[in-house]
Amino acid sequence: MAEKDSKKRWEPIYRSAPPGWATHPRKRMLMTPMLIFFGGIFAFAVPTIVAAFFQMAFFSPPVSDNWAPYGEQAARGREIYLANGCVYCHSGFTRPQDVRHGLYYTYPRISLPGDYATSDEAPNLWGTARIGPDLSQEGGFHPSDWQRAHFSDPRFTTPNSIMPRFNFLSDDEFEALTAFVQQRGGKAALVRYAGQQVAKDGMLAAMGMPAPPAKSEAEAMTLAEVARGVKMGGFMQMNMGMDMGGGMEGGEEEHQSILHPHDEYMLNFVDRTYWVMSNPLPVTDYNLLRGRMIFQERCIGCHGVGGAGVSLATRFLRPVPFDFTTQEAAQSVFTSEGSWYYKVLRGVRGTAMENFGSRLRVDDIWRVVMFLKTIPNGGLVAGSVPTIDQYYQWTPPPELLQYMKQNPVEKAFDFTTEDTADEPFLLEAHRIMNGMAPGYSFHIPGFGDVSLERFAQLIEEEYNRLLEEGWDAFIARDGHPIPPASQMEIPPELSKELR
Amino acid sequence: MADETRLDAPEEQGRSAHPPTDEGRRQELQRTYGAGPETVTGIQTRYRHDDRTSRWWLVSSVFWFVAVTTFGIIIATELAEPEAFQGVSWLVFSRVRPAHVEGVIFAWLTMMYFGAIFYFSPRLLGTRALWNETLGVVTAIVYNVALIYGFVAILGGGSTGREYAEFPWIVDLLIVGCFVSNIVNIVMTVSIRLVRPLYVSMWWAIAAPIWVSASIFIENVMWHPGPNPLWGMSGFLENGLHDAMINWWGNHNLFGLWLTPVLVAVTYYFVPRITNTALYSHTLSLISFWGLVFVYAAVGDHHLLQSPSPGWLKTIASINSVAILIPVFAFFSNIFLTMRGQWDRFFTSLALRFIITGWIFYLLVNLQGALQAIQPFNVYVHFTYFTIGHAHLALLGGFTILGMGVIYYMLPHIFNKPPYSRTLAEWQYWLVTLGFLAFFIAMTIGAFVQGQSWLSGTPEVNVLNQLHLWNIMRAVSGSMIYTAAWIQLVNIGLTFFRDTRGEEAKAARKDAIAGHPADVAEPQATA
Repeated sequence: MAEKDSKKRWEPIYRSAPPGWATHPRKRMLMTPMLIFFGGIFAFAVPTIVAAFFQMAFFSPPVSDNWAPYGEQAARGREIYLANGCVYCHSGFTRPQDVRHGLYYTYPRISLPGDYATSDEAPNLWGTARIGPDLSQEGGFHPSDWQRAHFSDPRFTTPNSIMPRFNFLSDDEFEALTAFVQQRGGKAALVRYAGQQVAKDGMLAAMGMPAPPAKSEAEAMTLAEVARGVKMGGFMQMNMGMDMGGGMEGGEEEHQSILHPHDEYMLNFVDRTYWVMSNPLPVTDYNLLRGRMIFQERCIGCHGVGGAGVSLATRFLRPVPFDFTTQEAAQSVFTSEGSWYYKVLRGVRGTAMENFGSRLRVDDIWRVVMFLKTIPNGGLVAGSVPTIDQYYQWTPPPELLQYMKQNPVEKAFDFTTEDTADEPFLLEAHRIMNGMAPGYSFHIPGFGDVSLERFAQLIEEEYNRLLEEGWDAFIARDGHPIPPASQMEIPPELSKELR
Repeated sequence: MADETRLDAPEEQGRSAHPPTDEGRRQELQRTYGAGPETVTGIQTRYRHDDRTSRWWLVSSVFWFVAVTTFGIIIATELAEPEAFQGVSWLVFSRVRPAHVEGVIFAWLTMMYFGAIFYFSPRLLGTRALWNETLGVVTAIVYNVALIYGFVAILGGGSTGREYAEFPWIVDLLIVGCFVSNIVNIVMTVSIRLVRPLYVSMWWAIAAPIWVSASIFIENVMWHPGPNPLWGMSGFLENGLHDAMINWWGNHNLFGLWLTPVLVAVTYYFVPRITNTALYSHTLSLISFWGLVFVYAAVGDHHLLQSPSPGWLKTIASINSVAILIPVFAFFSNIFLTMRGQWDRFFTSLALRFIITGWIFYLLVNLQGALQAIQPFNVYVHFTYFTIGHAHLALLGGFTILGMGVIYYMLPHIFNKPPYSRTLAEWQYWLVTLGFLAFFIAMTIGAFVQGQSWLSGTPEVNVLNQLHLWNIMRAVSGSMIYTAAWIQLVNIGLTFFRDTRGEEAKAARKDAIAGHPADVAEPQATA
């Protein structure tokens, strides 16, 4: 009966206190509506002020050096990106642990607060999931035609993707979305994007191909039309050098090299040390089979199930994916296994060829490359496995050896030691033409000189155009604070590992 | 034994069987109450409650649950087989996913919660009905219309893209308006109450809608609403950095200040109600109430622990996320000690089993959440399926299973008919519980595959092949949950259309409503 005792003990105090000054202790802990209402609001307000309003009051960093505004089209693309919920699988910031010092990684830099401190980044796109990769730095990692094919059906370009199709969007929406994705990642992305465009122009000129078609035009094409295009040289005049006709003849006099301009171009975007490199792995049934497995897992999206470059993705892509089925593919100036290895490893700027350096093991890349050399002899025929005798041993063509003698690059160009190492546009140019060094050039009819300096200049022009367009559009979107104009003058900084 | 701790025990024995509806009775009670705490009394609420409002909200929620699980099964299918819907724009994963999330929170759980609040409020306050039942019904209709508009907007490509705030601005505005209308209804009902002391459930019922509507208002209503406020953006801040932080602050308040409090309120109502026991401790209730609101309103930024947001905010979020365990343990132990010696009811009363299952998963989600909000572990699991597993542990394992208990208990009471089939309900229980567990296991294993791969430098696209199995398991377990949603709809529907005019049915009704006699006292405030 402790209850009774306590009652007795408290009763006199409770009774003798002035009215309203003391309540019975058992009653004191009862909640009243007023206490719940006002106490609840107070208890909510305190952490709210700290967590929600303090950050607005005390955390407003200036925009970072890398920040760049979106152009008009890109800003529209951002709205489409939001409305279609891309953010649920693609997060929008790079964490410290994501960044790798590697050549092929899609996370070149850690996101900084200043990257997001403007109205261009609102509403936020930070997201909570990464079923697909983070896209905060995506700009310029792929060319625009790859983006179009990928939006139309991601399995066109990435067979194991689980991203849904977005082919219901219109042509304009595709262009806006592409523009937005290509501009994500600030100034560094603009440099990469400009590089993609310059590389694309050079590549198309070297191959004599038209520009990539719009989305609806590409989707209207049937697979038979694609096959006809590839085989008969319809919408493209597929490489191989020898059969480049008519239009190119005029430029032949200017062209001093012993190599065909197309071959020379294809050769020079591969690092020189890989030009005549042979496969370090022995040709075995296992290696060939493993190579074929990986080809079928990763490559058939663009290169087609037959390896002939005939696929649904091809409808979107110019230059078209490489045709592996011809004898010329097996034995040509730029088709050494080393060159192919290099292209798989690092991708080819200006084409839809992605870098697989982070996705495939090095030995697996060599196996794929080895397997590719069996395709002309039926290594990819359904219902069979590639055999050792189907393997074609590439040997350096004499004109390649002669070309290498005529055009020695005296010193290997090392961006980590050169004075020009901090020159972002030259870095980007070198990323496109990996086999070249400053001071070295050759000529492409219809495009002009190809040299790192010229490419750097073209990239810089394109970069400045994109940046100015972005600033104009940003200022035109009124009603928000505008960062100081001096921010625009800060040069872009590229990660050196990314070159 | 239990009666010893009840202040009102003597009163209870002599309680009147007549409905105390008149003002004189109310004044009498107030006089009695004023005389001293011993006379704090509950009123035997033998009258037929109005419950129109509760019926509207609960029945809507049953339909919405089928709708939102339909969204869920669509997206689970798409993850396992991405070409399943061949690029139909309104079935695309990224549009259905926000509809699923918004639907679970605002359609299913919110409507069920308001139904529960409107059910227990008159019973705990001793009134026959809410202050204004018609207002509640109209609010339910407006709320349903707003939701339908919101889903059409999201599926039609009008989502705002701000996570958990995807509805267009006008829908956010209507949602806040409906919350305010309900707050008025609840507060006014409190003001006309006949039972003077407020039982724990009522604290939460008063405070939680206020907190969450304020939070939604701050997060996505009060800022500038964009060029086309009707279809377009919900309010967002001009600075992307601030917008992200306030977005996540507000998002977590949906769980912390709305879904959790009402889970607590409902559990505090049902466990004493069904077991016919007094709540173990008033003090623990106070700790859980004040502790929860003080720490929970600042945890949202634990979603951004590796983002470019300020360190002090991350620290506050991490500390508060762990401190959450204090009110949670207070709540957990309070219920556990109330249940002591009565665990047979866990097996005999299906409604109680649903609720206790939700309560157990709710404890687990808090343990998991505290772990997840600590930096080193967050580095490992952030952006992975772990978050999705965690979210489903809370919203499916905790709140939804509890909500099924609410539906299974309340709607038959409101219809005044025994549930159509216990067997169906048992199927529902096991399908949703096992389906959820399979889902959770799939997500957690998938998350560790992702986390380990990413930290070792493997890109996301390479992990997809390894996730395929877990995506299939996710879709299969999702179909179990989907089946449970339909079973609930069918069971409730058949209960409603059940013919109970026969004598046999009347006899069954007497003691079969949710498995216990109807004349057990309502739980009351003790101190």
